Amino acid sequence: MPIDISIKIGGEAGQGIQTVGHLLALACRQAGMYVMAVNDFESRIRGGHSFFQIRISDRPVQAPDHRIHLLVALDEKTVQIHAAELVSGGTILMEQKAGSVQGAAPVPFVELAGEAGARITSNTVAAGACLALLGAPFAIMKRILAGQFGGKSGEILEKNIKAAELGFAAVREMAFKWAFNWKEIRPRGVLMEGSKAVALGALAGDCRVGAFYPMSPATGIMTHLASLAGDCPVVVEQAEDEIAAVNIVIGAAFAGARAMTATSGGGFALMTEGLGLAAITETPIVIVNAQRPGPATGLPTRTAQADLHFAIRASQDEFPRFVFSPGTPEEAYAVTARAFNLSEKYQVPAIVLVDQYFNDSLFTVEHDLAAPREIERFIVGDKDIKDPAAYRRFAATPSGISPRALPCMGKALVVVSSDEHREDGHISETSTDRIHMVDKRQAKWPAMMAEMQPPRGYHEDGDCLLVGWGSTRGAIREAVDQLREGGLAAGSLHFTDLWPFPDSSVKSLLQKKKKIFMVEQNTTAQLGQLIRQQTGLNFSGAILKYDGRPFYPIEIVEGIQKKM
Amino acid sequence: MVSKKAYESDYENQWCPGCGNFGILTAMKDALVGLGLAPEEVLVISGIGQAAKTPHFLKCNTFHGLHGRALAVATGAMLANHRMKILVNSGDGDCYGEGGNHFMHAIRRNLDVTLLVHNNKVYGLTKGQASPTADPGMVTRMQPQGVTSESFNPLAVAVSLGAGFVARGFAGNSDHLSKLIQAGMRHSGFSLIDILQPCVSFNTVNTYDWYKKRVYDLNAAGHRTDDFSAAITASREWGDKIPIGIFHQTEKPVFTDQMAALRNGPLIAQSYNPERLQDILSKDD
Repeated sequence: MPIDISIKIGGEAGQGIQTVGHLLALACRQAGMYVMAVNDFESRIRGGHSFFQIRISDRPVQAPDHRIHLLVALDEKTVQIHAAELVSGGTILMEQKAGSVQGAAPVPFVELAGEAGARITSNTVAAGACLALLGAPFAIMKRILAGQFGGKSGEILEKNIKAAELGFAAVREMAFKWAFNWKEIRPRGVLMEGSKAVALGALAGDCRVGAFYPMSPATGIMTHLASLAGDCPVVVEQAEDEIAAVNIVIGAAFAGARAMTATSGGGFALMTEGLGLAAITETPIVIVNAQRPGPATGLPTRTAQADLHFAIRASQDEFPRFVFSPGTPEEAYAVTARAFNLSEKYQVPAIVLVDQYFNDSLFTVEHDLAAPREIERFIVGDKDIKDPAAYRRFAATPSGISPRALPCMGKALVVVSSDEHREDGHISETSTDRIHMVDKRQAKWPAMMAEMQPPRGYHEDGDCLLVGWGSTRGAIREAVDQLREGGLAAGSLHFTDLWPFPDSSVKSLLQKKKKIFMVEQNTTAQLGQLIRQQTGLNFSGAILKYDGRPFYPIEIVEGIQKKM
Repeated sequence: MVSKKAYESDYENQWCPGCGNFGILTAMKDALVGLGLAPEEVLVISGIGQAAKTPHFLKCNTFHGLHGRALAVATGAMLANHRMKILVNSGDGDCYGEGGNHFMHAIRRNLDVTLLVHNNKVYGLTKGQASPTADPGMVTRMQPQGVTSESFNPLAVAVSLGAGFVARGFAGNSDHLSKLIQAGMRHSGFSLIDILQPCVSFNTVNTYDWYKKRVYDLNAAGHRTDDFSAAITASREWGDKIPIGIFHQTEKPVFTDQMAALRNGPLIAQSYNPERLQDILSKDD
């Protein structure tokens, strides 16, 4: 029987829910399991309600499941909110007396933690109990704890081991229907949050400067990058605001360092003028927008895909830019590195759209990420320029791409202006120069378009095609599997490369389809609108979710079934 | 030996005849020549406004960016290549209005740039509205009842934030200003030079004559530049007597000197290392 178990650990912010989740995830990987976990929390540091939901399977899983097999309630609210999600025969471990809740077993987490010597270890008690129910040998738990707490004092580790033991013992008499046989095998790949994949991708794009202003759910990207700054030639600077962040990035890029910033919609709004500055000065920059529901502050710790049109259109006037949105950590790694390379090659800004669900979820990355052997730079020096003294930063070329020299690196003087300018970078208001510069920048479009990869298909020969972009990839593929099992010839197309829009490939992939359903986390099917705008093709319907929570595959399946 | 001619730009100057900016431009050229710097060794970064057009009229590397954001651009440029000599030309509206937040934080960082603020108390490029440094009571078309807010005191703010080099120059005394700019550029760390700049088109109060009657050389008067309290006192002197010169100077750790990644040289001089990245990528969770 295939293994596919979901465990939900709920409680207040500050109770160490994520720690329980991480311990479980690491332990299950020791049994060769694929692990996927979502992190649901409120915009507060203490109290409220949050949960960590972990899915454990013997086959790759890339989306959360709606069916919970084991609910761990560190507070009473968790039972009230989530008991209904429990599958038949599922188990609830709860702090308080079980009362009348079906399937509930009391485990006095806090009391047992006190017995172990520190009430703060109640989350470790819970982790121990979960692993015992899953049938894990205690040795694995012990090893994981040593890895997690090994850096701290021996006393802390001892107390956690004791807490885990008490958790194990507390459920010794209980049976759990989905316990599995723990054969220790080498874990596949690594566990990774989406945000870390973006940070690693930045390094693979040879990012040297990161500037940012803290904003959920983007902060994780820069925290990861900052943690790697000791090993790589990277500086991460916390700016005074998002406007400073984008201008720092532009200054760094102008001087020759590849640079990025990460933010969410509100911060991206503040960066919009800077985006235009990068465009008119033809300075390559990368901006990651980790989307959350808006407008304004919206839902700071929740997820959305409603900034696609914003990313494509942000700023006054018109100019070329790249927009990407990865669907898996592997794609995030590759796409972020590509964003750096393409941004520099074409001297245009590149935007990477991720979201809270993607950034804060844990995924199993099965195959090793590979560092590029070399980084191709698109920069010239005096030796490449016929007459450095006569260098003009915005010299006309058929491609619209002018040879880019760096300031203070030779005789060539680099002059750029946010005003419209002549080829030498000095301000000009003449009609001729204006048209010349606009045409030069716009001339980059065709070659940029040729760089774009078509959407990736999955059973794309199916009559009924589910079309999405970014982080919904896993949920959509699983929905396709379920629909096919139910007899529907379903398939999917998934976009990572969004702008310039890959018009011709999309048209050929979509034009003979009987049914096209958009699956997006916004209210207007923004990608669907874009497809219509660029190809003239209409979608048949859309499954849209905008409550700030990620899609469960079942929601897509039921949405499609209703429309068929 | 660099000549002043090397800095002559053939781009047509766009300032009003008699503008205080001409005196500042002359002082900049003299200072750069005095420091023995060639145009290709210098990067001038500016925002938006009449002052921010300065690098177009000077032959040098130039980043003429957005209104208020020059110091942020300078921060990034420094991170990428901290061996560059960076001057920032800004105005009172650009630096103390739109860019006020960046002004404070550039001081906090102790960025090794020299900031020249052409302070004429008005928005020149948009035709004469009062700027943050306008004195209360100044009447303009936008402020027909006179300015009601207090005048922003950049020197007092800079001194109180701990800026390492705080000075005031006068556009009507280029020689003195040139020496200030040289001292500012020699200082390692952030240097603010606020420059009293007459606006011949829109400021009929703070004219060349008005300033000439009032300015005096603070340093010739025995001011101690290492005395924080004396600097604060001097920064608050305004009216019949207006001090110019170096108000405060003190050595502090420089922004880019404190970053581990820059110890091996500028970021742009360090090469990509695939083995090092592969080690990071291959680390277990």
